[in-house]
Amino acid sequence: MNMNDILTIVLVLIGAPILGCLASGIDRRITARLQGRVGPPILQPYYDVKKLLSKDNMIVNPSQNFYVIVYLVFIILSLLMLVFKQDFLMIIFVYTVASLALIVGGMSTGSPYARVGSSREIMAILSYEPVLILYALAIYLLTGTFKLTAVLDASSPLLIYTPLIFIAMIVVLNIKFKKSPFDYSTSHHGHQELVKGMTTEYGGPGFATIEIAHFYEYVFLTGLIFLFWASTPIIGVLIGILVYLLIIVIDNITARVYWQWMLKLSWSVLLIISIVNIAYLYYSQAKLV
Amino acid sequence: MIENTVMLLIIVPLLFSLLFVALPKSLYKILAWALFILGAALSVNLVLDGTGVVQIGEPNFAMLENVVLILEVLVILFILAVSAKYKNWPTLGLGIISAAIFAYTFSNVPKVEGASFNIDQFSQVMILIVNIIGTAIILFATGYMDQYEEHRHLNRQKTFYFTMSFFLAAMNGLVMADTLGWLFLFWELTTLCSFVLISYNMDEEGINNGFRALALNLVGGIALSIGIILLATNNVSTLSGIGTYAGTNAAALAAVALPVALLCVGGFAKSAQMPFQSWLLGAMVAPTPVSALLHSSTMVNAGVFLVVKLVPAYAGTSLGTAIAVYGSFTFVMCSALALSQRNAKRVLAYSTIANLGLIIASAGIGTPLAVAAAIMLILFHAISKALLFLCTGEIEHTIGSRDIEDMSGLIKKAPLLTTLAALGMVSMLLPPFGVLLTKWVSMEAASSNPVVIVFLILGSALTTVYYAKWLGTILSSSMDKNAVPHKKLETYFPLSLLGLAIVVTSIFVFPIYDYFVKPQVDILLKAAPAISGLAGEFTTEIGAFTYIVIFVVLALAILIYLATKNMFTPRMSSYYMCGENNLERDRLMFRNGLCSYEKSSVSNIYLQNTFGESKLTTLGYAISIILIAIALLGGIGL
Amino acid sequence: MSLAKSPWIIHVNVNSCNGCDIEVVACLTPLYDAERFGVLNIGTPKQADIMVVTGSVNYKSVNVLKNIYNQIPDPKVVLAVGACASTGGIFHDCYNVIGGVDQVIPVDAYVPGCCPRPEAILDGVVAALSILEEKKKGNIKGKEVKLKGNEVPSNA
Ligand code: SF4
Repeated sequence: MNMNDILTIVLVLIGAPILGCLASGIDRRITARLQGRVGPPILQPYYDVKKLLSKDNMIVNPSQNFYVIVYLVFIILSLLMLVFKQDFLMIIFVYTVASLALIVGGMSTGSPYARVGSSREIMAILSYEPVLILYALAIYLLTGTFKLTAVLDASSPLLIYTPLIFIAMIVVLNIKFKKSPFDYSTSHHGHQELVKGMTTEYGGPGFATIEIAHFYEYVFLTGLIFLFWASTPIIGVLIGILVYLLIIVIDNITARVYWQWMLKLSWSVLLIISIVNIAYLYYSQAKLV
Repeated sequence: MIENTVMLLIIVPLLFSLLFVALPKSLYKILAWALFILGAALSVNLVLDGTGVVQIGEPNFAMLENVVLILEVLVILFILAVSAKYKNWPTLGLGIISAAIFAYTFSNVPKVEGASFNIDQFSQVMILIVNIIGTAIILFATGYMDQYEEHRHLNRQKTFYFTMSFFLAAMNGLVMADTLGWLFLFWELTTLCSFVLISYNMDEEGINNGFRALALNLVGGIALSIGIILLATNNVSTLSGIGTYAGTNAAALAAVALPVALLCVGGFAKSAQMPFQSWLLGAMVAPTPVSALLHSSTMVNAGVFLVVKLVPAYAGTSLGTAIAVYGSFTFVMCSALALSQRNAKRVLAYSTIANLGLIIASAGIGTPLAVAAAIMLILFHAISKALLFLCTGEIEHTIGSRDIEDMSGLIKKAPLLTTLAALGMVSMLLPPFGVLLTKWVSMEAASSNPVVIVFLILGSALTTVYYAKWLGTILSSSMDKNAVPHKKLETYFPLSLLGLAIVVTSIFVFPIYDYFVKPQVDILLKAAPAISGLAGEFTTEIGAFTYIVIFVVLALAILIYLATKNMFTPRMSSYYMCGENNLERDRLMFRNGLCSYEKSSVSNIYLQNTFGESKLTTLGYAISIILIAIALLGGIGL
Repeated sequence: MSLAKSPWIIHVNVNSCNGCDIEVVACLTPLYDAERFGVLNIGTPKQADIMVVTGSVNYKSVNVLKNIYNQIPDPKVVLAVGACASTGGIFHDCYNVIGGVDQVIPVDAYVPGCCPRPEAILDGVVAALSILEEKKKGNIKGKEVKLKGNEVPSNA
């Protein structure tokens, strides 16, 4: 732990939510434009969080806010681990803690809507987690280590060896951002057949915590995409932004699917193409240099 | 010194089993406490004594060998007698085969001159598990069995406690014995204990399931004894001798491949791996302490214990790869099956089989890293699973059901019990706890074998899902069932002890690794895993697991929660039910169109149509039998 | 100012003829685009600031209204949209109608009209916002409205 590391931590702690907030604002703006509206100011997510923090803390269950705090800190931890180029497999497990904390938080409120949302989100875990770990495996096969240092130090990009996993990861991001067509666990503004899914019983500061955690999560997930072209950071960032924009577009042009569809899509298409990619890496013995 | 401890470890539980028979029921609590304290003291003492081989030479040997022979005859006679009594012909047939093999062994196989107990670090770990967790479970039983028997109008507690402590003796012998003949005796004794305890209820279901367990374990026992006979033709009569012999040259390695494969099949049967899994599921009819002791934390571990001990004989060979694929296949298959289960004990049973499969897969991979993972997983899994089984038992007594859906809202009614159960589940699937850490190690170790790693990845995702469902359900705040928590010391002490053990072992995972696992892997593979640990980090050659950071962050989360708890004036309100709540009677009721009230109910997703037992079991049987056949054929050298 | 920039509304229909509801929804369409001002139509009262009520209150919906009002965290305002919500409207002397929303819960702003134009509704929201700010400043809490069982006929 030297001065530099501490500086990085502070930078991430402050910078990531700003970035995430902007990204979220841009998302709402683009969505509005795609629908022929003007849309809210870019800083709207910031105003929302500020407002939520100034509201009463209305709860149904004394422990419900504990889970969202766990969610927040573990999202931050996984982001920090990503920044510090830790073991990728480990990052995924830490990230799972965060996802599970939110699910358990939703379940813990006991509201039927939240429980339906949570059990759908559990199914989302089943869909995306294998793909994420296969991504980690691809990194291992290419670099001989699960630590991200090797990916970031390499001079050639990951993407040229893992195009199929890249495609699968776009869908995974779509699931993780809870965007249409996979937005069934916490339904977004317009669509309220599950009220607000997992977050139905969260209001005020508790919900603000979830929103802030989402900001970190945006950065974290885009960071996973960045890794595909980390050798030239500029291109990596560009790809991250492009994928993010693509997901916004997909969000706006698709209708929600059943969770069963997602599971089928994931286990039949995503897993298969990822495994094909892994098999290619394994047999070609390609190495990232 | 160590000789005495070894002998005491077998004699003390035996003594207690007699005491349980001799003394009245009112003294059982005191006996159980005494057994717990003695067991813990003895096992710690064994660890302090260090490692070593205890030779039993003349004249004791001749006497003991006769005892062993007599016991073996008795075991076979017992099997023949009960299976004839209940007209269970398959078991009788298997019993006759065992008898024939025994007769063959007795007349044809050269006698050994001495017997030995081999106390290495692995045995120490197992002894700690058996004697601390095991006795704690017996202690738990004293607070559990009265109510259990009351519900079922039984009065067989003498049998219960006798068998339980007798089992501890057998299990202690099993993990310490080095001579294969003796090991086999202890092996069969644990099978018998398991049979007696599964059919404890003496109803039809219990007896049928007991016989299924007996029959399948006899199959394993037969494989084991054939393996032992084959080994004897190579002049190998000890467990540690197999590795030494296999290490001499390539021809020796090939020669022991088939017997080793047979021994492994014996281990698979004991650990209820895929084609044998039905006995463990059937075994869930037994009282919960039995499930916790025999069917999750100790006896089923005997199988993987044997498989891990055999590592030097197959590490790096194609037999090893076959075992790894087989284990990982069981892991993914049973995790998938667990997904569709609503019965908590069945979920735990499948999860146990799956984790044992993971251990076998790690052992099969055979790199130092993987073997280290296997040994650590045995330890961590035993603690977590024992806790989970006991919690399930206690939950069943609290709400009168073992259906996961009925457990919703448990946290409101029995907060401590639920917290402990939640800790157990979290420790099974999330960092920074031991099971996940070892899963991580085994995944990293398996990443060189594409088939195994893909199975492990799928299995691990499935594991997350079925535990997440359960975890969320017990932590949700909507209660459907009436619950009567009873706070008894002998119930909550073992539970809290196990909960504490999970946290402590997870924090001190590196010292544990350093003291127990590293030297053991060194013995088995003559190479230590390249794991280093600096300040709460677990570093392998291909990755690092900074578990201490996660502990810190978890503590931080709790602190933040406590600090901010009252910062934003909390105000309780009711659920959002579109405003149609019923606030007087039940907050989960809503008013329907006819102005009467109805209960809302939500259940988890079980995917019966995809992962149901009827869909997957046949497939599982077919593939696992093929895999075992491949392992055996590989053993013959085809 | 933090509240005024992100008013999240919850729309409650207690006995409306749906005319008002369509106009409320029209506010969200591209033509009027209420989201320009940060307005979101949020599904759950736990996250809402402004309660937009349409329709007159009747015996069947009165408890729903009160429940939802109680579940909105402070500071909060209630906006009665349409003649019905304000006074009972053309249904005021119906056998099952209690009257305007203010008979049951405190209302902060009224939007007249049958049905009101979206512009008027947006105007009402803006009016409600200043009240919201005042409530925040003065730390004025909405009272917990008691549910009285006898307001619901046992088998209406
Ligand atoms: S005010 Fe007019 S449009 Fe609105 S609910 Fe009443 S009758 Fe319908």
